[in-house]
Amino acid sequence: MSTSNGISAAAPAARIPGEKGSGRGFTVTAWVILITLSILWLIPSLWAMKTSFTDNGVSALGAPAILEGWNLTTDSYETLLRGGDIWNWYLASFVTGVLTVFLSMLVCTMAAYALSRLEFKGRRWAMLLIVMGVMIPGNVLIVPLFALLNQLSLLGTYWAVILPQVPQVIAVFVFKRFFDGLPKEFEEAARIDGASYWRIFRSVVLPLSRPVIAAMSIVTFVGVWNNLMLPLFVLTNPRLMTIPVGLATVQGSFGQRVSDIQASSILGALPLVILFLIFQRQVVEGVAGSGLKG
Amino acid sequence: MDVPHPTFAAGRHSPRLSRRTLLQAAGGLGLAGGLAGCSTLSAGIAGTEVAPGTVQFWNLFSGGDGARLQTMLDDYTKKHGTAALEAATFAWGNPYYTKVSLATLGGHPPDVAVSHLTRAQNLARGGLLSEITDDMLAMVGLSADDFTESVWEQGKVDGKVYALPLDIHPFVLYYNIDVCQAAGVMDGDNMKPIQGLEQWESTLTAIKEETGEFALAVPTIADNATCWRWFYTLYSQHEGATPFLSDGGKELTWNEDIALKVLEHMQKWTTSGLMPKNADYAGAQTMMFTGRSGLYMMGGWEITTAQSVKDLKFGMTAIPQIFDKKAAQCDSHVFILPTMDRSAERTQRAMEFVKEMLDQSLAWAAGGHIPTFTRALDSQEFRDLKPQNNYAEVIDYVVFTPPAWYSGSGSTFENIIGAQIGLVAQDLATPKEGLDQARSQLEVYARTADPLATGEQS
Amino acid sequence: MSTAPTNATGPSVDSRVEGRADATDLDRRRASRDVAIRPGTKHEARAGWMFLLPFAIVYVLFLIWPVIYMFISSMFNTSLVETGLGSFAGFDNYREMLTKEEFWKSLWNTLVFTAFTVPPLVILAFVLAVLANRVRRGQWFFRLAFFVPFILPSAAIALIWNFIFTPGTGLWNSLQSALGNESPSPVLGTPSLAMLGVAVTTVWWTIGFNFVLYLAGLQDIPRELYEAAAVDGASQWQQIKSITIPLLGPTTSLVILLQIIASLKIFDQVYLMTGGGPGLSTQVVLGLVTNTAFTDYRVGAASAASVLLFIVIVVVALLRQAMEWFSARRAD
Repeated sequence: MSTSNGISAAAPAARIPGEKGSGRGFTVTAWVILITLSILWLIPSLWAMKTSFTDNGVSALGAPAILEGWNLTTDSYETLLRGGDIWNWYLASFVTGVLTVFLSMLVCTMAAYALSRLEFKGRRWAMLLIVMGVMIPGNVLIVPLFALLNQLSLLGTYWAVILPQVPQVIAVFVFKRFFDGLPKEFEEAARIDGASYWRIFRSVVLPLSRPVIAAMSIVTFVGVWNNLMLPLFVLTNPRLMTIPVGLATVQGSFGQRVSDIQASSILGALPLVILFLIFQRQVVEGVAGSGLKG
Repeated sequence: MDVPHPTFAAGRHSPRLSRRTLLQAAGGLGLAGGLAGCSTLSAGIAGTEVAPGTVQFWNLFSGGDGARLQTMLDDYTKKHGTAALEAATFAWGNPYYTKVSLATLGGHPPDVAVSHLTRAQNLARGGLLSEITDDMLAMVGLSADDFTESVWEQGKVDGKVYALPLDIHPFVLYYNIDVCQAAGVMDGDNMKPIQGLEQWESTLTAIKEETGEFALAVPTIADNATCWRWFYTLYSQHEGATPFLSDGGKELTWNEDIALKVLEHMQKWTTSGLMPKNADYAGAQTMMFTGRSGLYMMGGWEITTAQSVKDLKFGMTAIPQIFDKKAAQCDSHVFILPTMDRSAERTQRAMEFVKEMLDQSLAWAAGGHIPTFTRALDSQEFRDLKPQNNYAEVIDYVVFTPPAWYSGSGSTFENIIGAQIGLVAQDLATPKEGLDQARSQLEVYARTADPLATGEQS
Repeated sequence: MSTAPTNATGPSVDSRVEGRADATDLDRRRASRDVAIRPGTKHEARAGWMFLLPFAIVYVLFLIWPVIYMFISSMFNTSLVETGLGSFAGFDNYREMLTKEEFWKSLWNTLVFTAFTVPPLVILAFVLAVLANRVRRGQWFFRLAFFVPFILPSAAIALIWNFIFTPGTGLWNSLQSALGNESPSPVLGTPSLAMLGVAVTTVWWTIGFNFVLYLAGLQDIPRELYEAAAVDGASQWQQIKSITIPLLGPTTSLVILLQIIASLKIFDQVYLMTGGGPGLSTQVVLGLVTNTAFTDYRVGAASAASVLLFIVIVVVALLRQAMEWFSARRAD
């Protein structure tokens, strides 16, 4: 798998010759299939959206009523946004996401720099140990992690969600590969000027790595935002829950308010859709890059 | 701020309360949001108390109960200010008890929580609950005499009190008055008395003829608890119905013949169309509300939801004696104080909150429950409360889910057995298959050493 | 336990750099220049460990130590509500899991889930990527439709699909009713359909990931190949058959393996949509693990189940590494 940073997903597809003759039939078929499937793929989201703008009393009656009822209302959104829960969940998701990304990118780029550029005894062992980490399936460790976080008295705080997600092994490899490919001239020059390793790392390596750090940051952020299992068991106070946990556990209190539930789902997804629209390229590159590595 | 809603009532409490407080304090939504963020942020980052000085109260009341509880909580906050309380409602069943347990282990439990009586014992045995001493009761002018004795005694573990009972909530029968009158099974506003299988089935048949669809709706899908309630009610109505579990769950001791017979009846009623094969919690009640079915069974709490349905005339009564004797499955909601380092002040706050909730037992009873606070139970107001007085008698013959470390309302036990009952009712398994499947799964739990017993021995 | 990191990561920070046989010539030259400027390679070694240390600490504490603790507690009757490991259980927890219907059923369900999800996720993603790659316009739209669900929280996905699958009145059952099925089966309430419902949800949710992987793989195929094929008069279909499919082979095997590992780790969808039910028909291993640990309070038994799952996943991951290694060797 040689392409990781080289995917230009946002760029138009390469122009492929031979589109005459058989190409026409092909293009028409392609369009039909693509349009049909993308409509099929959009239906669930559109359905949730339609429901969320329908009155709770109507949506409780089921699908036909929702289809027919076109007295749209934003009641459900107002109810949710006026209540405090969703804001607290946004806060938790945002704070844990940002802090995890910051800490994770810091320690992972540092480790990758050491593995890529610095010579020291035990480097191979360290490398091997970290390679092994790729195989450790995170969620399987939920039980011992809970015990550990309990011993560290971190349960019920954001740190219980943040710290276990800081070691992103795949990010280390993505960074290491990137650093390996960076020309060494700048660093050499800085070294001759007497700059410390930290200085070189900070002012030469990191600035050159901005694109890959951006892509990995976004992927990590999305991963932390969407993580359900860890916060589900370590964050118990409804005020401190992240979006997925809030949606999953506090839904019982909506009773049968179907529209509210769909609105909460839309609100929970919205920040990521916005993130995607802004950082399309980084999201796609990061996902593909880390997937190919993983 | 709640948008008035014609059919279904909301059960969301706390966030609004804290928000209002902050609104008052800050006088602006933006600033309020910022402040709420601050205290939440510091709790998340520094592990400080989420809302110091408030009573944190967790419960599992949604639907009708949620709405009822809200009025009681509103009453509390009217007296003490909205800052005094932060209530949260969680998804019912195992997820709720798991949350309570994990929060307590993690050192951030709520001050007060609601539990089922059948779950409180296990929580107490796991060391997750604070003992409620006579002194604590005396703080707010309570004593053991204020509670129905049978329930009070069940809340004890090793002679210590861990649970303050609020109610008993039996499984009851709802009837759509218009439908049932048209079917000729009514005597005024009450159902004609039914005794025995024959009368029961002829009543159902009469109602089915009237509705053209179903006679009785009971959930069969995604509602293991209700499947169990319905089954256990019928099982317990038999002479010779042995305890379902014995020796703290180490033995599976149900009477196989009776259990099979009950399942056969349940399946016959759904396959013959007297009852729906496929109905989930919401679907079953909607059937009764909309007249697709004349009868509906559930705990008394759905009275609040039924009352909010426009133009619905309905009544409630005890489940008739279909077999040898009267019986109805029930459980009891209790208040518990999860284990934590509690200052005297904090204890006082928690106890006062519980006391004020108990003082509103009649309001709670209006939500379909039978109070266990004797001042309410023995009051004339409760005796006059309709339709609750139709079924208040069941308190004499209710049956609780048998105790075991894996049992209780919404427990693994109920999920295992309830799922199979549901499959039988949906006609996706034969009674024998269902029961065998339940037995093989439950045997694993019966064999497993009680994980809560380790602490008791040491 | 807090001392574990430094012990486990190897020699202490001060250790000298020796035996730099693996250093390249350039490194050697650089190092010799270093000597002129700095006290020597000791400095670099120290810097190396210092740069590695922060990662090493969190890595050992939150990844390695839990693995070790998981193995240890799987041999004990560890209880969630007690401190300490509890009494020694030997292999009892393993024996329990390996003889327990629920455990095997969960593994079996994982297989069923894999069988339901892999073919559509591979084939559909491939078709979509190939087509979207050829059709030059509207790329943003297809990415929006197919990829966006993948980055949304499972909780939001589950709420949407639970609602679609609502028995009787939900969109799916209503559609069936409209088409003449008088009493459509509730998807998530019927044992034979529930896993299918979870699988459909998962395909909808995660196809974007494979879609993007295939798009990436497509960019690697040199255009000259197509040009040459076109010169030879190969039609679009023939080009796909003889160029695209074979050259995307590595991507496909990767996609399949990733999907198998993801299936083994499935938790969210099942927890949110069916809770493992009806009965055990959708129970999966991580559902069994969390129920055992957090509902039954049996950390020891849950650890044993975790270890067994851990082993299965590591074996699959090793197989993957082995396959990659072999194909790399063959390529050489």
